[in-house]
Amino acid sequence: MKELEKTKRISIASTLFILVVLIAVLAFERPKHMYKVNSVNTLEKLTSNDYFISLNDVNIENDILIDVRNQFEYEKGHLKNALNIYAPEILSDTNSTIFEELKERDKTIVLYGANPDEVNAPFMLLYQLGYTRVKILAVENSYVQNKLITNAVDIEKSVANVNAFIDESIKKATQSLKKKVVVRKKPRKKIITVKKKKKAPAEGGC
Amino acid sequence: MVKRKVAKVLAFRYKILAGILIILAGGLVLLPKYEKHEGIKPEQLLSNVISPERYISTDILADKLINQDPSYLLIDVRDKESYHTYTLPNAINIPLAKLLDEDSERYLNQDEYDVVLFSNDNFYADQAWILCNRLDYQNLHVLKGGINQWFNTVINPPKPLENMPTEQFELYSFRKAASMYFGVAYPEQFKAVKKPKKKIVKKIITVKKKKKAPAEGGC
Repeated sequence: MKELEKTKRISIASTLFILVVLIAVLAFERPKHMYKVNSVNTLEKLTSNDYFISLNDVNIENDILIDVRNQFEYEKGHLKNALNIYAPEILSDTNSTIFEELKERDKTIVLYGANPDEVNAPFMLLYQLGYTRVKILAVENSYVQNKLITNAVDIEKSVANVNAFIDESIKKATQSLKKKVVVRKKPRKKIITVKKKKKAPAEGGC
Repeated sequence: MVKRKVAKVLAFRYKILAGILIILAGGLVLLPKYEKHEGIKPEQLLSNVISPERYISTDILADKLINQDPSYLLIDVRDKESYHTYTLPNAINIPLAKLLDEDSERYLNQDEYDVVLFSNDNFYADQAWILCNRLDYQNLHVLKGGINQWFNTVINPPKPLENMPTEQFELYSFRKAASMYFGVAYPEQFKAVKKPKKKIVKKIITVKKKKKAPAEGGC
């Protein structure tokens, strides 16, 4: 009798255990977004520098332009055939389905914004999420009298040689110093003419 | 009859239970796939990346450098060549390609210093920041505008126009002083350094007035 009770307990415990495991498995939700590319591979991509594309190289058939600015800016003016996906909403469900679809259709996603800096974050995020065919359009968008002006830009171009500038400034400063010295070498002699008073003609006299 | 059949099945109950457990354990093999999910969640990363909190302005950085704030560590993510041409004072060079090396991790994954990443603009520094943020490294910042902005504000500050508010003039004088600290020389700076001018002693030439000659002669 005792023996039977013991086995009963064991079976109850194990069925409960299995139930818990089953519930856990069923309740396990796959995270919506997962990285498919790890950091090291992403870094390799970044250093390869082949993710930039210029406006002339965009092929309408294979590339899909995506504007990451907000809707207001997009409606004010955007490139031809561009879709609008605002950068902070890039992971929303509808946008994910768009990206998924583009991936299936083997299209290249070309991102652009007001400047390449703005596109950097969405680009890196999408790349790490496994949309490996992403590119950055190297352009800068601005408005002149409500008209969209798109200019190509060089990324990370150094504007000036700081060392040269500093040397130049020192040179200039010392030069101006020398000039001043040269000027001071010739102090003008003041000529003070002392007029000799004419001897007063003898006064008086008879 | 039925009872006997049940009893027969029950005789195997331990084996059945063990079998189910093993099958479930087999499920664990599938789980490590999700372990590849290295770093913080993509949603979290996105919200971190969108916020401009990571940026530090060139003026604030100049102030920290001049006051020799020991809690700041500068990291130049450009290549070696640019690093040797010009870099910020006391910066360490970690080219972007070597960002995830073991040696670099010492500098990036720590909580002693406030690390400021910079490059020519803030494009590459941002990329470095995003990669590190995914790995949940703390205390990282990005110099807004990078070396270019540094040059345009601190090294070569634009003179404010006359109709600009006083703040602009104050900012300009701060930047000018900062640029002097970082080695830029201004012509007017030398005025102060010059040897004190010898006072030219005015020679006083006294012209003695001739006394009026007493009237000569006369009766």
